[in-house]
Amino acid sequence: MRRIALAERPDWRSKAAECGFGFHTIDDAPYWDESAYYAFSLREIEHDIEAPSEELHAMALDLLDGIVVDEQQLRQLAIPEPYWDWIAQSWRERQPHLYGRMDFAYDGSGPAKLYELNYDTPTSLYEAAFFQWQWLEDQLGRGQLPAGSDQFNSIYESLVEAFGTIARRLPRPFHFAAVRDSAEDQGTIAYLRDCALQAGIDCGMLAIEDIGVSADGRFTDLDDRVIGSLFKLYPLEDMFRETFGAYLPRSGLLLIEPPWKALLSNKGILPLLWDAHRGHPNLLAAEFDDGGELPRGWVRKPLHSREGANIAMHLDDGRELHTAGPYRDGPCIRQACHPLTGFDGHYPLIGSWIVGDRACGIGIREDNSLITRDSARFVPHAIVEEARGVLIA
Amino acid sequence: MKRSKTAALLLMSTAPLLLSACDRSEGAAREGVYTSVEACVAQTNDRSTCQQAFDKAQKDAAATGPRFANREACEASYGKEQCAERSDGASHSFFGPLMTGFFLSQMLRNGSPMSGFNSSPAFRDSNGGWQQPAPGGAGVYRSGASSAMVPINATADHAVTTSRSGFGTSGSSRGFGS
Repeated sequence: MRRIALAERPDWRSKAAECGFGFHTIDDAPYWDESAYYAFSLREIEHDIEAPSEELHAMALDLLDGIVVDEQQLRQLAIPEPYWDWIAQSWRERQPHLYGRMDFAYDGSGPAKLYELNYDTPTSLYEAAFFQWQWLEDQLGRGQLPAGSDQFNSIYESLVEAFGTIARRLPRPFHFAAVRDSAEDQGTIAYLRDCALQAGIDCGMLAIEDIGVSADGRFTDLDDRVIGSLFKLYPLEDMFRETFGAYLPRSGLLLIEPPWKALLSNKGILPLLWDAHRGHPNLLAAEFDDGGELPRGWVRKPLHSREGANIAMHLDDGRELHTAGPYRDGPCIRQACHPLTGFDGHYPLIGSWIVGDRACGIGIREDNSLITRDSARFVPHAIVEEARGVLIA
Repeated sequence: MKRSKTAALLLMSTAPLLLSACDRSEGAAREGVYTSVEACVAQTNDRSTCQQAFDKAQKDAAATGPRFANREACEASYGKEQCAERSDGASHSFFGPLMTGFFLSQMLRNGSPMSGFNSSPAFRDSNGGWQQPAPGGAGVYRSGASSAMVPINATADHAVTTSRSGFGTSGSSRGFGS
């Protein structure tokens, strides 16, 4: 794994504009960054990222049968009691899931280490599935990448296939929803809807704020149609505690991601995974936080923190890092500190995409600090064959 | 190759034919349940697709429809005289409901159907509801294989909305993705 500087495509901004990529620059700061890329060998991709992703995904799903009937674990995961039966039912019915992203610390040496599962509202999907793919094709065409370079990225094909597979299980109308004023979230659901349309599914979009409820507790769109299925790019745990949350279990609404994802997109799954697979090479030691002093070599993360908010890191050398954020009061976990490796002062975090149950691609977010925050830039990657042969001096 | 062979955009692209399969028109699907080829033609004006969809549905009906060990169990779910004995070709016989219709879904481009379609057999249960076989576990999904039936509801219910804005109040300047 190497970080390689490369000239930007001169026309990438106009391509972004043509392709609906409106959030390549966020709050005047660059988000899409193709001034460099990460080069991997095929073995690094297949052996160190793809295979462990599928294994960890299966390990996480295997825990669910136990969690849904375990009151203590449901409390540890801070799932509100009124939603327990509904979540358990959604798992027993195997209500369809679409996608998730695992975040790994990986630098090409040693096993990738799982930081967390973003299994409810992952973003950076369009960038990974489409714009990164187009970057590779363009740079290959311009002769800027070694001939035969590839990319770990069949995310688009997997999404269309997944939508086609679950299409018949989705009551109609089927809508995609995100908060109105987030360009990034709106761009992500626009892309997902695009993939669903390509799979032959008629579907619409609306703002999450525009969802209505009827007198008998069903959810409606702006035309007063009862929503059959809803893809929501909005945290399940936030829906649980908002005004309409109480209607969810009896509304008949099919949610994607489904309710059972609340058990996985929760940092509490990390200590449960560790307990079940202690010493697994891709897992970091983890435990539920008792609120005491954070010893050296540990990181504290709120169960529901997103985008690197409210993280406390106590490094082996005694340095302490903290990030601000809105998740101040909730329960936390501790995870063994395994800092990201710096590449020329940049700290890449590997996002490994799971669509359906298939590991199908990666996207890399790069920050200037050890904690990857919402300011992290998206940097493309390529699979480049290592130079063969060894010079014998 | 570890990457997609193509990466098309349907609605997000503003450029005409930026990539293969790009299209600027509003994408939508037309779907319906039809009790006969004639009913389908009356709705779609496309005899060839209707006939192909019907043939495919009929071919799939025995393989993907619900199976019962005896006639009584089948009739309890699908009604009197609505079941027939079938064989899976390996000398195992079972009872299944008669196909009472077929489901057809087509993508539209500029209001006209694109080539290709999805179809499946449809069965009417004893309560009058339409059902079709759920997809089995395959490809991108590993688990969940079954010949479970799922309801077809191509038309939407309406309900008077009494309140809105009950979701989305947690507030964030940057959105909620992660």
